[in-house]
Amino acid sequence: MKRFDCLGIIAGAATDTLVVTSAGAVTLEWNALRPSDGNFRVRTLGLCSSIALGMALGLPQRKVIALDGDGSLLMNLCSLPTMARMQPKNLVHIVFDNEVYEASGSKQTATATGTDLVGMARAAGIRQALWTHSVDEFARIATEALNGHELFFIGAKVTTDRTEVPPYPMDEVENKYRFIRHVEKTEKIAILKTNLPSSYS
Amino acid sequence: MTEEDAARTILNGLKAAGINLIATLPDINLAQLLHEVEADRDVLHVPLCREEEGIGICAGAYLVGKKCAAIMQNGGFFNSNNAIVTTLLQYHIPLLLLIYYAGDIGDRTFSTSGSMTEPVLQALGIRHYVMREPDDAPELIKRAQILAEDSKRPVALLLTKESLGRRASIRSL
Repeated sequence: MKRFDCLGIIAGAATDTLVVTSAGAVTLEWNALRPSDGNFRVRTLGLCSSIALGMALGLPQRKVIALDGDGSLLMNLCSLPTMARMQPKNLVHIVFDNEVYEASGSKQTATATGTDLVGMARAAGIRQALWTHSVDEFARIATEALNGHELFFIGAKVTTDRTEVPPYPMDEVENKYRFIRHVEKTEKIAILKTNLPSSYS
Repeated sequence: MTEEDAARTILNGLKAAGINLIATLPDINLAQLLHEVEADRDVLHVPLCREEEGIGICAGAYLVGKKCAAIMQNGGFFNSNNAIVTTLLQYHIPLLLLIYYAGDIGDRTFSTSGSMTEPVLQALGIRHYVMREPDDAPELIKRAQILAEDSKRPVALLLTKESLGRRASIRSL
């Protein structure tokens, strides 16, 4: 199963979902498939799941997807019990497990020697934690998760194939401002305050 | 001021500054404050397993409109440094950090942590203020939050034992 094929399925189903992508190639592939100001690219390895959790808690009426990787989640395993503890009904955490640190020279991660991330998610207290092994199975479970009202953790065993896509088109600060403005517009709320006092007040 | 009163004063200061999501990890000196945070109905409390995930949670919540604070010991601040640098500072995201100052003068727990806390904050360019009096909490918190929002950077308040009502104020000695 290729990550790009799985992402294509999510892109078709998640038209206006807020999407957080882990540091690495998944960000570029996702952005090529669904370019949107509702995409937030994470640069801190491990923090994808936590940033998505913060968004899900802050906007409980809006669906949030985390597109994570095995190396990233292994660095922040404690996000699993925290997610389970908070039980956000609007969060779908998807982990593409290719068993290597793809962006860092393709050294093996611990999942290559048997660590089971779905098993860990379930043991942490996430009830809907499932492995998917084919694109059809991924499509079925991802659709169920996106249409449901429950915290989902989906593991997808994927190959190390990388799809040629354009580079990310903006820096981190522009990504932040665009994302916030997108949330303001689509949720009809004001987040950024610009009413600074005048210099002589 | 008693420990209970100090905890209530700090929490009320956070709420008056508009804070509505608080991520925490316990330290014995923060126990009463965390108890108040947990019992409060107006703020969303996120108990953490490790402080660095709290930086991510607060950053994500900020991006969708929450005003966040993270409460931790200085050991947790050290744990959080990569997230602070590559998420908060890299993306210009504000966050109010309330850090228990273990190893502060007169605190006999982690003197090495105490000696490193302010130099590390300074190296990261994080504006920080030491809170010694619980009475100062509301004004310090309000100003720190305004500074964080204006500068789009984290701002840290270092909470000492006396600021948490756990030993006599220096002024009263």
